[in-house]
Amino acid sequence: MTATTVDTNAADHDDHDHGPTKGIGRWLYSTNHKDIGTMYLIFSLTMFFIGGAMAMVIRSELAIPGLQFVHPEFFNQMTTMHALIMVFGAVMPAFVGLANWMIPLMIGAPDMALPRMNNWSFWILPIAFGILLSTLFMPGGAPAGGWTMYPPLILQTGDAFPFLIFAVHLMGLSSIMGAINVIVTIINMRAPDMTLLKMPMFVWTWLITAYLLIAVMPVLAGAVTMLLTDQFFGTSFFLAAGGGDPVMFQHIFWFFGHPEVYIMILPAFGVVSEIIPTFARKKLFGHDSMVYAASCIAFLSFIVWAHHMFTVGMPLTGQLFFMFATMLIAVPTGVKIFNWVATMWRGSMTFETPMLFSLAFVFLFTIGGFSGVMLAIQPADVQYHDTYFVVAHFHYVLVPGSVFAIMAGAYYWLPKWTGHMYNEKLGKLHFWASTIFVNLTFFPMHFLGLAGMPRRIPDYSTQFTDFNTIASIGAIGFGLSQLIFIAVLLTARKGAKATDRVWEGSHGLEWTVPSPAPWHTFTTPPKARIANESFE
Amino acid sequence: MDELERKKNIRRTTLIFVAIALAFYVGFIMMGVVRS
Repeated sequence: MTATTVDTNAADHDDHDHGPTKGIGRWLYSTNHKDIGTMYLIFSLTMFFIGGAMAMVIRSELAIPGLQFVHPEFFNQMTTMHALIMVFGAVMPAFVGLANWMIPLMIGAPDMALPRMNNWSFWILPIAFGILLSTLFMPGGAPAGGWTMYPPLILQTGDAFPFLIFAVHLMGLSSIMGAINVIVTIINMRAPDMTLLKMPMFVWTWLITAYLLIAVMPVLAGAVTMLLTDQFFGTSFFLAAGGGDPVMFQHIFWFFGHPEVYIMILPAFGVVSEIIPTFARKKLFGHDSMVYAASCIAFLSFIVWAHHMFTVGMPLTGQLFFMFATMLIAVPTGVKIFNWVATMWRGSMTFETPMLFSLAFVFLFTIGGFSGVMLAIQPADVQYHDTYFVVAHFHYVLVPGSVFAIMAGAYYWLPKWTGHMYNEKLGKLHFWASTIFVNLTFFPMHFLGLAGMPRRIPDYSTQFTDFNTIASIGAIGFGLSQLIFIAVLLTARKGAKATDRVWEGSHGLEWTVPSPAPWHTFTTPPKARIANESFE
Repeated sequence: MDELERKKNIRRTTLIFVAIALAFYVGFIMMGVVRS
């Protein structure tokens, strides 16, 4: 393994390095990609705990049959808000935070291409979620019609309705601005000799994700705009009484909603594709095929939306098309899984915390993928639809999938951010506790779903008691396990000083700058042999 | 690529993607208008 050749002066080139301003102004007016990345990550962690607290309410209520703690109406508010917060407030901003921090470092750019828009993209988010969370205290409570916001049910929301719509618009605006920034940065700001196919996988997956975001977030915005006009301006887009079609909302929503799933998982693929080669001490197997696979997944994500609607009713040809198109996604996804395994094959593997989270990702995301193929089978889906099997499926994709990848990325790059090694013992404890409890929480839900337990209910038949109790114990354990991560963060600057390269097998431009990464990096473009070349 | 050229490219790419986003937003609402 040879070291990456770079212009070493690039990292601390400081002809205009004035450093950050002091006080709150540094964060309010920041246009620095590292500061904005940090704010995104802190915001996302905060939302993760708020959304997690709502999950605790849900699982506490479901621990035993009967109504224990909350009214059914509040239970519905919790399920709706938990989903909205986790999707738009925790997972997506976490990946945007990682993108902000790492993409300029990985492509040798001094900052994002549109730094002031970057500031706006972030600061819109706390406003959006402040508005959304404020609905909990409004007459009629928070939205309770599910994160899918299907009419006519969602139109029964009380005072919270316009606030929900406004908050969703703001979240969409933030995401679109962030996505435009990522695309413009990657297209225009790469180091001179970094061709597209030499870009690291994290950058590639984010580029594809950004295209998805620009295509589908406006669609969601359009859908909720129509909901708003149906409610307040006398239109009948989705109101059957006025000649509208409620099913049209479902089509439009899922045209956004399915690519949204890939928006939350493609950057996770990118993170894992960075980590596994590092700790296997081999170059990524089939880099280019990974790029093509991610592109295929992104394309297919646009033509499978109606598999969420098999029970709504559609022509047989429609059912067949969406079933087979959905199954087709397993092919490029399989390419990725096999490439990760092939990367590890005969590698000199070590099992530091980022690698452990990445390995768990490969195993557990695959479980979520398999149950996805089961759900794609239209005749079987009629049985599974709206049961806990679906809840088990998407939580396997999103928790040990997306969330574990975010954790892996955080541990992987933390020394680069702080300049110190985190506490490895605490990290491993966090990993093992999370992995055990995540399975304890979500695996029994497969059985509950197959046995016929519907989702989104606060009470259930006594036959479902045992698995629900196990899932609730697991959920509380998983929630508490995340406090270990807080301990890791609080002690993150007490560890040994991190080297520039941090990990023995690390590769790419981000490891050529000092740890912690200086406030300004690559003010002159690096002359680099890039990424995988360092392994040849 | 000189700095001026880069800035021009950045502006052009930004405008293209803003236009695409707006087209999707307006397009889907127009689809709703036509359908309802």
